[in-house]
Amino acid sequence: PYVDMILVDGITLLCNDIQVDPQDIVMVTRNVENFQLVLSWHMKAGTMCEFSKKEFIEGLQSLGIDSLEKFQEKIPYMRSELKDEQKFREIYNFAFGWAKEKGQKSLALDTAIGMWQLLFAEKQWPLVDHWCQFLQARHNKAISRDTWSQLLEFAKTVGSNLSDYDAEGAWPYLIDEFVEYLNENGVIQNGLINDSSLKR
Amino acid sequence: MVLHKFGDKLYSGLVATMTGHLKDIAQSVEAAQGGSFLEELNRKWNDHNKALQMIRDILMYMDRTYIPSTQKTPVHELGLNLWKENVIYSSQSRTRLLNTLLELVHSERTAEVIDRGIMRNITKMLMDLGPSVYGQEFETHFLQVSAEFYRVESQKFIECCDCGDYLKKAERRLNEEMERVSHYLDSRTEKKITNVVEKEMIENHMLRLIHMENSGLVHMLCDDKYEDLSRMYNLFRRVTDGLSKVREVMTSHMRESGKQLVTDPERLKDPVEYVQRLLDEKDKYDKIINLAFNNDKSFQNALNSSFEYFINLNPRSPEFISLFVDDKLRKGLKGVSEDDVEVTLDKVMMLFRYLQEKDVFEKYYKQHLAKRLLSGKTVSDDAERSLIVKLKTECGYQFTSKLEGMFTDMKTSQDTMQGFYGCHPELSDGPTLTVQVLTTGSWPTQSSVTCNLPAEMSALCEKFRSYYLGTHTGRRLSWQTNMGTADLKATFGKGQKHELNVSTYQMCVLMLFNNADRLSYKEIEQATEIPASDLKRCLQSLALVKGRNVLRKEPMGKEIVEDDAFFVNDKFSSKLYKVKIGTVVAQKESEPEKQETRQRVEEDRKPQIEAAIVRIMKSRKQLDHNNLIAEVTKQLQSRFLANPTEVKKRIESLIERDFLERDDSDRRLYRYLA
Repeated sequence: PYVDMILVDGITLLCNDIQVDPQDIVMVTRNVENFQLVLSWHMKAGTMCEFSKKEFIEGLQSLGIDSLEKFQEKIPYMRSELKDEQKFREIYNFAFGWAKEKGQKSLALDTAIGMWQLLFAEKQWPLVDHWCQFLQARHNKAISRDTWSQLLEFAKTVGSNLSDYDAEGAWPYLIDEFVEYLNENGVIQNGLINDSSLKR
Repeated sequence: MVLHKFGDKLYSGLVATMTGHLKDIAQSVEAAQGGSFLEELNRKWNDHNKALQMIRDILMYMDRTYIPSTQKTPVHELGLNLWKENVIYSSQSRTRLLNTLLELVHSERTAEVIDRGIMRNITKMLMDLGPSVYGQEFETHFLQVSAEFYRVESQKFIECCDCGDYLKKAERRLNEEMERVSHYLDSRTEKKITNVVEKEMIENHMLRLIHMENSGLVHMLCDDKYEDLSRMYNLFRRVTDGLSKVREVMTSHMRESGKQLVTDPERLKDPVEYVQRLLDEKDKYDKIINLAFNNDKSFQNALNSSFEYFINLNPRSPEFISLFVDDKLRKGLKGVSEDDVEVTLDKVMMLFRYLQEKDVFEKYYKQHLAKRLLSGKTVSDDAERSLIVKLKTECGYQFTSKLEGMFTDMKTSQDTMQGFYGCHPELSDGPTLTVQVLTTGSWPTQSSVTCNLPAEMSALCEKFRSYYLGTHTGRRLSWQTNMGTADLKATFGKGQKHELNVSTYQMCVLMLFNNADRLSYKEIEQATEIPASDLKRCLQSLALVKGRNVLRKEPMGKEIVEDDAFFVNDKFSSKLYKVKIGTVVAQKESEPEKQETRQRVEEDRKPQIEAAIVRIMKSRKQLDHNNLIAEVTKQLQSRFLANPTEVKKRIESLIERDFLERDDSDRRLYRYLA
C-alpha cells in the first residue's frame, strides 16, 4: 500500500533538498513543523508524514513549484499563510483529520496537544498551556472533531480574560469545564491571567 | 294669570314668596337647640315637601305651559332648589348640619345608640336634593373623617393587639360600616366607605400584620388557626396585593420548613417516618387551603410548587417514597379497609408527582417490588396492582411495562411449578423446590454469582432445568441464589424442633452443619462460594441476632472476621415453632449502593436523552442550542430533570456520530443529518 508514497524517510530527503532542517521537520508529535502542515494542506494530504504521489504532484502544481529553487522560494510564503485569518482556520480544521490516526474518529490527546502548541504558537492564544494542562489533568481522553474546531472559535471570540464567555453559549462541555477549571484555580483574577498558577 | 299673559308675574311672585317663607324656616331651624336641630329640620322638610306638592298641583297649568315655553325651572325642582339655597346652605346651618351628622356617626362608632330614623330621613333629604348635594354636603366629609378615625384606631389596635384580634376588630368594623350604609346612607356609599376601612385598617398595616411576631401568618399556619386564617384571607383579598403577600409569606414558610424537614439528618434515619412527615405536611396545608383559603387555586399552586421545591432538595426522596410504599405494602395495610388503602396510595402518588427524578423512583420501586414478590411479602395483590395502574396513568405504559412483566413472571412461575411436579410425582417426598423464572430485563439487574447449593438441592435444580428447557427451547437459565428463601426443619441439642425460615445463602451455610460440628469461616466460604460481603451478613444474622442465633461463634464478638469458627447453638430456644431469620440488610441503601444505583440511573438516561434530541431534531431539522436544550428538558420532565451538561454531552456525542452537525456560520445552530 505504501508504493507511490513519500514516507518519513522520503520527507527527510526532501527536507535536505530544500534545506529545511530535517530535525525540525521530522514528525515527533510535539515538534511538528508548521511548514509540513501547511504543505500537507496544500497537497490535501490525508495523513501526517505521508504524501501520496498524486497528492505531492497536484500540491506542487497548485503551488506553482517545478524546481527545488522554486520550492525554497515558496517556503517563506507558506509560513506567512498562517498569518491569514481565514487560511489559518482552514489549516487548523484540516490539521484534525491530518493528524488523527486512520480509522479513528477522534484525535489522540497527546497528538492534539502537540498540534495545539504548534498552532497556537502561531496564533497567540495565551491560555493554550492552561488548556493542555487542564486536558491532561481532567480529561485524558481523545479529542472530538467538534471540540477541536470549537476551540479555535473559543480562542477567537472569548477574550483571554473570559469576559465574553457565556455558559449558555453552546460551547462543548469540555470547554465549559475548562472555564470552570480556570475559575477554580484562580487562573483568571481581576480579568487578568495569573500565570503563577501554571505549574510546569 | 298665565292665560292672561301674567305668567311672568306669577312665577316671580312664587319665587319671592317661597324664598321669604323658607328664610323664616331657616331661622326657626337655626334656632333649634342641640339634638332637636335635626328633628326640626326634618319636620320642616316634610312640611315643605307637602306644601310643595300642593303648590305644584295648584300651579299645574303654569308648570305645563308657561315654564317649558320660557325654559324656567319647574315648580317642584324650584322648590327644592330654594330649600337648598335658603335652608341647607344658610351660613348658620350648613356646617352645623354636617357636624351634627358626623358626630352622630362617630357616636355610633363608639358604641352609642343613635336615632337611625332621623339620620335616614336627613340623608334621604340630601339625596333628594340631588346626588351632588349628598356628595358635597355629606359624603366627601364623611369619608375623610372616617379615614382619619380608622387611621387613628388602627394605629392604636396594631400597637396593642395580636394579629388575630386585630383582624377580628377590622372585620367587625367593616361589617358595621356596611350595616350603617344599609340603614341610613346611600347604597352607593358602601363601596367607598369599605374602601376607606380596607385601606386604613388593612392595606396600610398589611405587612406588619402578616409578619407580626407570635401571632402573624406563620404563627397561624403553624397552629392551624383556620378561623384566623380564613379571616385574613377574606380581609386581605379586598385589598390590592393582599393575597399575593399572604401567598408569598406562606410559600416561603412552606419552603423553609419543608427544607428543614428533608435535610434534617435525624429524619433521614427512618425513611417511612420521613415520608409520613411529608404526607402530614401536605395534609396540613391542604386542610388550611380548603378550610381557610376557599380552595383558592393560586394557593394550591403555591403549595404544589413549594413541595416540588423541597422534596427534590433531598436526592433520596425517590428512594424513601418507594420505601414508604414498600413498608405499607408489606405490613402497613393489614386490617385497613380497601378505601383507606386507596387513600394512602393516592397520597403517595401526590408526592410522586412532585418528584423530578421519577426514573430514580422507578429504579427503587422495581428493586423493592422484586424483593416483595420474591419473598412473598406483599400483603395485597390488589393494592400492588392498583398502584401500578396509578403509575401507569401518571407516566404512561413505558414506565410500568417492566413492573407488570414482573407480575406476569410470578404468575407464569406458579403454573410452571405445577407442571414440573406434575411431571415428577416421585419428588413429592424429598425437599421441595419452588422456582420463580424471572425475565431478564424486567427485573432489577443482579450480579449472578451462583453459590454452591447442597447436593440434594442442586440435583433438584438440574431436574428443573431440564424440565424447563425441555418445554422452552432456546432459553437460558441462571440461578439467582442471592434472592431466594428456604424453610428448614431443624432439631437442636435437647431435641427442640423448629422450622427455620432463612435465605438461600443461610440455608447453604446451615446445611453444611449436617455433616460437621465445627466449621471455620474459611471452610464455609470455600464450601459455599458465597461472596464475602453476603456471607458475612448471612453469618451475622445466624450467629449474632438474639433469639435467632441458631449458630454459635468463637470467639464471641460483634463482627464476623475471617478467623471465626462456628458451631450449632445447641442451647437455641424459641417460643415459636417457626423461626424467621432475617438477613441483616440495610433497609436504606448504603452509600456505595446508592452511588451504584445513581450511576445506573445516569446510564439509563443517556439513551433517553439522545432519543429525545433525535426526535426533536428530526422534526425541526435545525434548532439553536438553547431551544434544543429547553425542548429536551420539556420532553423528559415527566421522567426526570435533564441535566443541561449531560444534554450537551449527548449532543456532542450525536455530532460525533454524524446525527447532527453545527452550522458553519452560526456555531450555536445544530442541523439534523438525515
